[in-house]
Amino acid sequence: MDDMTSGDIQESGVSSAEGASQSISAGDGPPKMTTRNVNVFYGEKQAIDNVSIDVNMDNVTAFIGPSGCGKSTFLRCLNRMNDTIPIAKVTGDITLEGEDIYAPQMDVVQLRARVGMVFQKPNPFPKSIYDNIAYGPRIHGLASGKDELDHIVETSLQRAGLWNEVKDRLQDSGTALSGGQQQRLCIARAIAVDPEVILMDEPCSALDPIATAKIEELIHEIRGKYAIVIVTHNMQQAARVSQRTAFFHLGTLVEYGVTTDIFTNPTEERTRDYITGRYG
Amino acid sequence: MNNQATSKIDPTPTDWSGDVMQRRIKQRYAAERRFKALGLGAILLSASFLLFLLVVMVGNGFRGFTQTELPVEIDFPALTNGAQPAQFEGPDAESRIRSLGVQDIVNGSIEIQYGNDGTDLFSAGAWTSVQSAILKNPSVLIEKTTFYLPVESELDVAYKGSGNPEVEKKITELGDQLSTGFNGNFMGNSDATDPMQVGIWGALKGSLITMFITLALAFPIGVAAALYLEEYAPKNRYTDLIEVSINNLAAVPSIIFGLLGLAVFLNIFGLPRSAALVGGLTLALMTMPVIVISGRNAVKSVPPSIREAALGIGASPIQVVFHHVLPLALPGILTGTIIGMARALGETAPLLMIGMRAFIAKPPDGITDPSTVLPVQIFLWSDEVNRGFVEKTSAAIIVLLVFLLTMNAVAIYLRNRFETRW
Repeated sequence: MDDMTSGDIQESGVSSAEGASQSISAGDGPPKMTTRNVNVFYGEKQAIDNVSIDVNMDNVTAFIGPSGCGKSTFLRCLNRMNDTIPIAKVTGDITLEGEDIYAPQMDVVQLRARVGMVFQKPNPFPKSIYDNIAYGPRIHGLASGKDELDHIVETSLQRAGLWNEVKDRLQDSGTALSGGQQQRLCIARAIAVDPEVILMDEPCSALDPIATAKIEELIHEIRGKYAIVIVTHNMQQAARVSQRTAFFHLGTLVEYGVTTDIFTNPTEERTRDYITGRYG
Repeated sequence: MNNQATSKIDPTPTDWSGDVMQRRIKQRYAAERRFKALGLGAILLSASFLLFLLVVMVGNGFRGFTQTELPVEIDFPALTNGAQPAQFEGPDAESRIRSLGVQDIVNGSIEIQYGNDGTDLFSAGAWTSVQSAILKNPSVLIEKTTFYLPVESELDVAYKGSGNPEVEKKITELGDQLSTGFNGNFMGNSDATDPMQVGIWGALKGSLITMFITLALAFPIGVAAALYLEEYAPKNRYTDLIEVSINNLAAVPSIIFGLLGLAVFLNIFGLPRSAALVGGLTLALMTMPVIVISGRNAVKSVPPSIREAALGIGASPIQVVFHHVLPLALPGILTGTIIGMARALGETAPLLMIGMRAFIAKPPDGITDPSTVLPVQIFLWSDEVNRGFVEKTSAAIIVLLVFLLTMNAVAIYLRNRFETRW
C-alpha cells in the first residue's frame, strides 16, 4: 500500500484536473473491479462525470466527499442498485473480474450476490437472526442441507464478530438487536452469500462511537478476504480503515490515491481544503 | 438609515403576564375543553345508539329462537299398527317413514286431545318435527310418546305478549298447557310461508357460499393487481388512469354493480339466475377495488430499505415481492379485505338485480343452485304481513351480525398471526 509511486499520484491529479479521467491503479495485483469513464444521469441532471477507479482485493477503498458529491451514486453503480431508479442512466465501462457488469448477458441478481452491499441505515429483515443470515444462501442454493446452512450462519456471524453475542438467541428477531449489532448482522448477511466485493454505504453514520469502532475493527479483519469499498462522511474513519481513498466533488473524481498521501500530502487544492475542514 | 429602519420595526416587548395574554391563554384552554367535550359527546352518542340497537335486536330476536308449544300424546303402537323401530333404520328409512303417514297420525292425535278444531291450534308443519324425531330415534315407536309441537303463528305471537283479544281468550283457555321451547327449526330450515316453519339455514348457507366465491375471486386478483401496480408497473399516464379508475370504482353505488352483473353474467354469459355463483361474482367486482386500494397502501408502506436489503444480497424482484414485501404488507391487505368483505356480506341491492330475491325454500347444494343470502332474506321477511315474521326478522339480523363478527374475528386473528410472525 505504500509502494505507490509518486508518478501515479501525479497522474491522478492531472487527469482529474483536466476532466479526462484516466485509469487509476488500485495497487498490487490485478484489479477486482475496474471502472472507466463512468457517467451517471438522473434524467437531465448529471450526477457522476467521467469517473475511473480500480478496486482490488488487498485494499479497503474509501470514497469521501461532501454531501451530494455522487459518492453513493457511484457506489451503487458497482452492483447496479441504480437499476431500481427508473430515471437513472449509467454510461461507461464497469467490470468485475474482467466481465462487463452492464453487459446484456450479465445476470444482475447474480451480480448482486457477488457484489454485496451494506446500507447506511441498518436494515435487517424483520425475521429471526438465523433467517436473516440464512436468507441469501437459501435463495442462491449455497447450502445443501440444514447442517451446512447452520455452518454458514455460524461462520458468517463469527466473521462479523457477532457470534458470541447472539449464539444463544438465533431465533430472536433481528430487529430486536441494538443498532450496532444490527449493522454487523447486515454485514454478516452480506458475507453469508460469499461475495467477492462488499460495498458499504456510510455503514456507521447511524451508529454511536463504540459501535462504529467495532465495525471498523470488523472491516480490518475481513480485509483481504473481500474487496471492500466504503463510502464515508467521516474523514477520520476513512483514514483509519482504508488504504486507498478517492475524493469526490460535484460528481467528479478529484483525487484518488494512497490514503496516507491523500491525508498528508494531497495534490489537489480542493482535496486539501476539504480534509482540513474548509468546506464540506 | 439602517438604524432608523431597525427602530421602526422594533416591536414593543412582549408582556407575557398582561391581561391580553391571560385572556388568550384562557381562550385556548376553553377551546381545548370544548373540543374534548364534543369528542366525548360524539362517542357517547354513538355508543348509546349501538346499545339501543343491540338491546332492541336481541330482545326481539331472542323470541325468534323460541316457539310456543302444546303437548301432544301420540299412541304409536295403536296408530301405526305395531310398526317396529327396526323397519326404519338403514339408508331408505326416510321413504318408509313417509309411507307411515305421520301427518295423519299426528292430526288424529291432536283431534283426540284438543277436539275437532284442534289442528287449527297447531302450525301446519308441526307434524314434520314428529317425523324427524322418528327418523332420528325410531325406538319412540314402541310406546306412547308425548311431543311438544309448535302452535300456529298468531297464537305464538300472542303467547309471547302481543296478540289480539280473540287469541288472548284462547290462551287463557289453554292455560298451563302452553309452554315455551327452543325453536329447533330456525337454524335448520329455509324460507317458508308459515312463520313457525321458517329457518335461516338456507340464507346462511347461501351467504357462506357467496362470500367464499367473493373472497376466492376478489382477494387474489386484488392483491395481484396491487402488487403489480406498486412493484412492477411503470409510472406513466396509463397507470395514473388505472389508479383513478380503481378509486372511482370503489365509490360506485352498489346497485350499479348489480346492473353490471345482470348485463354481463346473466345476459351475456347466460349464468343461472339467483345463483350464489353470480352473487359472488358481482360482489367480487364490488369488493376488488377496496382490496386493491388498501393493498397498494399496504405495499407502499413497506419500508424501501427492506427491498434494498433483499435486492442487495441478490434476491430477484419476484423473491423480493413474495419473501419480503407481501408478508409485510399482508396485515394491511387483510384490514382492507375485512372492510370489503363486511360490506359485501351486508349488501342487498346488487343481489336483488341478479334475481336473488326469489322465494327459496331449500338450501343451495352448489354454486349454481338458486339461493338467497342473509341480508336479502331479512329484507324479504321485513316485508311480510304476518306478524310472526317480525321476530324472525330480528333473529335473522342477529344471525347476520354473528356471522359478520365471526368473519371479522377470523380475519383479525389471521392478521395478528402474520404480524407477530414477521
